[in-house]
Parts: sequence; C-alpha cells; structure tokens
Amino acid sequence: MKTVILIAAMIFSVNLAMADDSKYLETMMKNIDRIYQAKTLGEAQQAANAFDRIANAEKTKWEPFYYASFGYIIMATMEQDVAKKDALLDQAKVFVDKAATLKANDSEIGTLEGFISTMRVSVDPATRGQQYGGLAMHAFGKALAVNPDNPRALALMAQMQFGTARFFNSSTAEACATVSKSLEKYDLPKSADPLAPTWGKGMAQGLRKQCQ
Amino acid sequence: MKANIFLYLMLSVSAYGQTIISGKITDRKGESIPGVNITILDSYDGTSSDMNGLFSFSTSEQGGRTVLATFVGYIGQQVAVTLNGNPVKLVIELREEIHQLEAVTISAGSFTAGDEKRRTILKAIDIATTAGATADIAGALNTLPGTTKVGESGRLFVRGGDGNETRTFIDGMVVLDAYGPAAPNTPSRGRFLPFMFKGTSFSTGGYSAEYGQALSSALVLNSKDKAEFNQTDIGILSVGADVVHTQVWDRASASGKVQYTNLTPYFNLVDQRVDWHTPPNSIESSGAYRQQTGRDGLLKFFGNYNHSNLATYRHDIAQPELNLLTDLDNTYGYGNASYQQSLSDTWSVRGGVSYNYNGNKVKVGAVPFDEKENGTHAKVVFENSLSDRIEWRVGAESIVRDYTASTMVTNFQEPLSLNFREAIGASFLEGEWYTSKHFVSKVGARAEHNSLNSQASIDPRISLAYKPGKCGQYSFAYGIFRQSAKNELLRLNTSLGPERAEHFILNYQVVTGNQTFRVETYYKRYMDLVKYSNGNPAQSNNNGHGFAKGVELFWRDNRTVRNVDYWVSYSFLETERDYLNFPGAAVPAFASAHNFSFVYKHFITPIKSQLGLTYSFTSGRPYTNPNGTEFNLDRTPTYQDLSANISYLPRNWLIIHFSCTNLLGRDNIFGYSYAATPGADGIYASQPIRQPANRFVFLAVFITISKNKSVNQLPNL
Repeated sequence: MKTVILIAAMIFSVNLAMADDSKYLETMMKNIDRIYQAKTLGEAQQAANAFDRIANAEKTKWEPFYYASFGYIIMATMEQDVAKKDALLDQAKVFVDKAATLKANDSEIGTLEGFISTMRVSVDPATRGQQYGGLAMHAFGKALAVNPDNPRALALMAQMQFGTARFFNSSTAEACATVSKSLEKYDLPKSADPLAPTWGKGMAQGLRKQCQ
Repeated sequence: MKANIFLYLMLSVSAYGQTIISGKITDRKGESIPGVNITILDSYDGTSSDMNGLFSFSTSEQGGRTVLATFVGYIGQQVAVTLNGNPVKLVIELREEIHQLEAVTISAGSFTAGDEKRRTILKAIDIATTAGATADIAGALNTLPGTTKVGESGRLFVRGGDGNETRTFIDGMVVLDAYGPAAPNTPSRGRFLPFMFKGTSFSTGGYSAEYGQALSSALVLNSKDKAEFNQTDIGILSVGADVVHTQVWDRASASGKVQYTNLTPYFNLVDQRVDWHTPPNSIESSGAYRQQTGRDGLLKFFGNYNHSNLATYRHDIAQPELNLLTDLDNTYGYGNASYQQSLSDTWSVRGGVSYNYNGNKVKVGAVPFDEKENGTHAKVVFENSLSDRIEWRVGAESIVRDYTASTMVTNFQEPLSLNFREAIGASFLEGEWYTSKHFVSKVGARAEHNSLNSQASIDPRISLAYKPGKCGQYSFAYGIFRQSAKNELLRLNTSLGPERAEHFILNYQVVTGNQTFRVETYYKRYMDLVKYSNGNPAQSNNNGHGFAKGVELFWRDNRTVRNVDYWVSYSFLETERDYLNFPGAAVPAFASAHNFSFVYKHFITPIKSQLGLTYSFTSGRPYTNPNGTEFNLDRTPTYQDLSANISYLPRNWLIIHFSCTNLLGRDNIFGYSYAATPGADGIYASQPIRQPANRFVFLAVFITISKNKSVNQLPNL
C-alpha cells in the first residue's frame, strides 16, 4: 500500500512539475500576446505587472525579466510626461539588468538595453543625443556581433541611422539598407522557442516606407 | 487503503481550494492608485489594480503567505495573510518614494550641473558650450549669479571673496592648485577640462560639512564612470593639438591623453600688449582608469602631469625703455584614487587619496625664486540610510601640505628659505532628514585640528528647504567656514590662524519643465582675516574682518523659442573688508557692485550648427590712485564683453569649432599700475592694466574615430 501511495505521489508530483512548466509557458505566452496588443498605458502596465509576478516566482528564468523590461519600455513610449518617462525607463533598466545576469551576452537582451538608450534620447535629444545615442548604437552593434540575424537589433539600429541622416541632411541609404536587412531577417524561419521575442516588424515596415 | 486514497483525494482537492483576495490600493491621502501590481510572494497569483485602485483575484495557495503591492515611484508594501478559502479583504496604503522629481531639494547657494535625469539648473554640456568660456569650467560658471568677473584673473571670485576662497574637489578629493600658470594680468585657465566630468556642483555658500578649507565656495567635480566603447579623439587647435584614446574592457576602462599647446604662432599673427619673450607653451598628459569591483564597487584612478613655461619682459612704468625679464616654469602633478562600494542595503563606504605637486621656478631678471608645494589628502566616508527619509554620513580626513619657497638674496650667495608643514585632521557628521516631500533639513558639523597653530574647532552647517506647492521652493543655509591663510602669508608667519566666514543664505527657486527662476540673498561675515601690523607682512595677525551682502537673480528659459536656450543672471554685491595692508574697511580691488551675464545658445538645424553668444557686464572696480585721495576710492570703467562661438557638424564624427571673445573690441581696463616713486613733477606715472589683446580667436577641428560612427566630441566641447 505504501508503495502505491509512493508511486501515486510520484506521479502526482511529476504531474505537478509538468503542470508547473506548462503553466509557466501558458502564462508567459498569454502575457506576451497582451503586451504586443497593448494599446494603452494601463494595458501595458497590466502585462508588465504580470511578467513582474512571474519573475517573482521564477527567479532563474530570464524571459519574465526580459518581457517585464519590454513592458516598461512600451509604457515609456506611451507616456507623455518626460519625468515619468525616465522613471519607467529606470524600471525597465532594473529588469533588463536582472535578465542580463541570468543570461550573459544575449543578443535579445542586448537589443533591449539599446532600446532603453534610444528612448532616453527621445526624452531630450539635444542634450542626450550624443551620450545615449552612442550607447544605443554600441548596444545594437554588440547584439549583432552575438547574433547577426537579430532583426530587432537591425530595426532599432536603422531607426537611429534615420535620425542621424535626417539631422545631418545626408543620405538615408545606409539606414534603408539596414531596414531591408532587418526585414529579411524577420522572414527567416521562426525560433522553435515559443517565448522567443517576435516584436518590431511593424516598426521596420514603417521605416521602410520612408525609403520609397 | 481506501481511507488513505480518500484522504489523498481530499488533500489534493483542498490543494486546489481557492481563496479570493480583494481590496483597494490608495496613497496616504486616500487617493486610489491604478496599475499597482499585487502578488503573492513566490507565486504567479496576483493582478493589477483597476482605475479605481480596486483589485480582486483568486489563488490556490494555502496557509500563511505574503501579499506584495508594488508600483513605480512608491515604496512596496507587504501584508501577511492566511489563505484558507475565506475571502481576504485588504486595504493597502502605499507611500510615495521621497527621492522623486517633485520632492524638495536644498538649493540655497548651490548650482548643480549634470545628471540629465534630475531637474538641474545647468546640464553638463552647458559648461562646455558657453561662449566666451572657451571650454573652461570657471569661465562658464562665471556667467552664474554669485560670481564677480575679474577679467585679468580667470578664477572664480564668489560673493566678495578672493579667487583662492573657492576650492576645487575632484571625486571628493581636494585639489590644491586648480589653475594653470599665467603671466601677470592675463587670465589663467582651469587645469581640468569639463569633458572629464559627468557632474559639477558649484556652491556659492552654505555647503556641506564634508567640504572644508574653503571660505567662500566649493566646486565639486565628479569624474565620469567606466567608458562603454573604444574611441580615439583627435583635436587640431589653432594653439596646439591633442589626442585621447579610450580602451574598454568588460569591467574596466582606461583612457590616456597627450596635449601640446603653444601660443607662439598665434601671438605672431595677433599683436599682444604683453611683451612676450616666450609665449605660453605646455605639454600635458593625463590618464584615467576605472575598474568595477564586486556587485557595485567602482575604483577610479586619475593622474595629470603638466609642464609649462612662459616668459615676459616687464617694462618700467616711468621709464618704459627699462625692462626686466620674468620667466616662469611650472611643473604640476596630480594623482587621485577613489573608491566606492556598498557594504549592505543601508550602508556604503567611499574614500580616496589624492596627491598634489606644484613647483614654480621663477626668475625675475637674474634673481631666482623657487616655490614648491606637496599635498596629500586622504579621506573616508561612511553613509547610512535609516529609511528612505533619513540619511546620515560620517567621515574623517587628513590634509598634509609641505611648502617651501627659496630665493637668493644679496650678491646671490646666501639662499633664503621659508617653509612650513601643515597637517589638518578633520572629521564631519551630517544628517539629512525628509520630514515629508515638502520639507527637508540637513544638519551637520565639521571638526578640524590644525598642526601649525594647534587650533581645534567645530563649525556648524545647517540647510533647510521647504516646498509648499508643485514648483516653487524656499531654502535657507547657514554655516561657518574656515580656510588657512594663503601660502605667501603663512610662510612669513606660520602661527597665523585660519580665516573664517559665516554665511546666511535665503533662496527662492521655481523650476518648471524647461524654465528656471531663482532669487537669492545673503549676508556673509568675514572674521580672523590676516592683517599686517604697521603694513609689515612679516608681522601679521588675525585681526582683519569684513562683510559681504547682496541679492542675485537668475532666469533660464529653453522653452519659449524652439532650439533656443538662454539664461540671464544678475548679482548685486556690497562688500568691505579691513585686511592685509588696508588702512581701514574698504572695498577690495577684485569686487564689483554689479555683475550681469546673458548667455544665448541656438541650434540652427539647416546649417547643422550650434551658435552661442555671451554678453557680460561688470561695474567699475576699485583702485588706489597714489596721486589722489583715499585708498581704493577710485573706480575703473565698466567691463563689457560680447563673445561668440559656433560649432559646425558637417559629419557626425567631425566638428569644426570657432570662437571669438570681445566681438565689439572694447578696450577693457581692469585697474592701474603706478610707478613706485613719483616723477620729477611729483606725480606717480600710471599704466592701465588692459587685456593682452582685445580679442582672442580660436579655431579647432575635432575628429572622433570609433567603430561606432554616431559618436563625436560634441559632449567635450
């Protein structure tokens, strides 16, 4: 009888473990969808909060921290008050730093670091452009050195190149080439990992319109 | 067995038993906060509060658990709950973090530049782009209220204080001689360039107990942290060239700079009123190393070496055909190592050592005069935050200076040497307490012991700030400050005590998005100033005294006109002192009653250029006419200057910079020199002290080489 209970308990605990992992995947995928669909600050906050909660329970997985950071960046894009924008980016930085300690030298995490710098520039381009612009380009360069096929790093890099070209009234050829490359990479077969980031294609398509 | 299975099923059912947790999140005033994250610690379960701050979720967790509520800008709150299926109702009150943007800050006497995230009055880049300053820190700060322009000096004269009453600190460590050598009556430049620093705090009074040995003002410079990418910067200047290379590793960065400056070609092109034998030339090298340690430790090294030389002919005032060659050779070395590290969540430590060497070899005619100063400074500070509202720090430091001056007297056989060694031991204690986000007080005291005169002292420092509404705030500061007498006085009488000043400052400031208005009034009492007995510097005492009082206004606006940023400052100063050889209380020669500056910066997008203009006005300064009546009664004409600069960015790795001072070519007069003896007619011959040339024109090309093409030297200009 004891053996039966033991086996039953083992099966049950295995079930529990499996249930846990599928629960993780399911919750993550649901919220990844939510953050991609978020139209308002409140919606983005809810999704970011969910990732924060998951991260709180799954302290060894980098993805919840990555998406929590992404959520705060999305909130920063929607926030109008520059001081609040900075506070949201500070929070995004806290999460991306945690993700980076869990997975060192990752192309996607590096891209997100660059994204935060890009957003810092947008707060006050005149005084921040040089410092954070440089940091952003450096981050995208590093992300592409790790994975040359990262379409998000290319898209964000192209965005910076457009800004620079517009400022110097120079040719956008380089920026357009980067956009095309980015879109090519978006069309590569998707990663098997259901939690792998897929965002940014719309932005790249938007940038390409400026090339025609 | 059946019973067992039943029990097992029961347990697993109850394991899936749900508890509903609901409630409301408010701030301390009872206002609801939407978007707050509510979670059960170490589980997935939780939700966000809705538009009315309400929340509700169910959880399968059981037993004693912790509910956590967090939101950006607020302090997270934990609540212990018991989950057993019975609904849980919570009302959670979140308290706002105090170090938020709207919180009150101490602003009396203080200007901060840097950290773009805070609402600072100046940005770090402003120091570099102010016209007329030619990238000199003191030059840019001289456009702020509280300063008095002294055109022939180039130093910072603050609120009736002499130039040496402003002390420079780098990463908390003292700099004994912050200015390069200059010929008599020509402005000197700061030894440290603005681009080395991420933040500057310029205090015109009432500063923290951490800073000592400064009577009037503290200039606190914080050097940059670890660099993020490799780059090489090359500057080709009309007066020389420099190259800087920065190399980055995973947790460290190093940069080295070499600069050569020679004004000979420029002086050949542009006539100078100074009769140069050797125009200023210097070779400078500096290096910086940053190493991150542990989780958040940072070790910084900085070293600077400079050798410069200049020589002029000084013409006799009465008989200009008589001249005397004066040669100045200066060797300067500065090294600074600082370290910071947190010890726990609430404790942190920082500290460092600095070493200063300054050697002057002067030859007046054939008479040599040597001067050497060695100084070391060591300091350690522990900081503790008791809560997000109360912080306190305690520190100790030691400053030891060795000074020697020697000259050859009579037939060059006997050397005469004067020297002293001063050891100052100091400690300070300071606490900062936010009663609410509307009121902050900072109270501290600084104890010092000076080996030269065996004096021990305790100086109090107090600052308060009150912010009743959203934008405007009132601030008050009080303190007693002391500083050892100047080297040239101390070497003659080593028992001289320190000079002292007492500051009272009242400030009102309004900062909204991109506009700043500030008005400040102060009273400063000088005590124990060095005074000569019977006009003899060798028989000096500390019986001198004086005062300074004034009102200052500042307005900055970069909102009204697109791409335009300007500031206006005005200072009114009334000061008198009885010190040195003064026959009684009089206005010192460096003081002027009215100082006005207008600084304008305009980015013109179609020509990819930043244009800067600075207008400065200083009312007449006192001088004594030995042919006339009384001491320091006469006044020079007003000083006026309109300077311009333009930075053109044709490519993002290339900057072409042009600047010119005194566009209108005004012949500014800083004072008059008189012959030592009256002429045959009984009148002392005079000579105005004028600018070495009406204008200074500067052209530079800056090139940045990096893998990362979006980087240029704009932040360095």
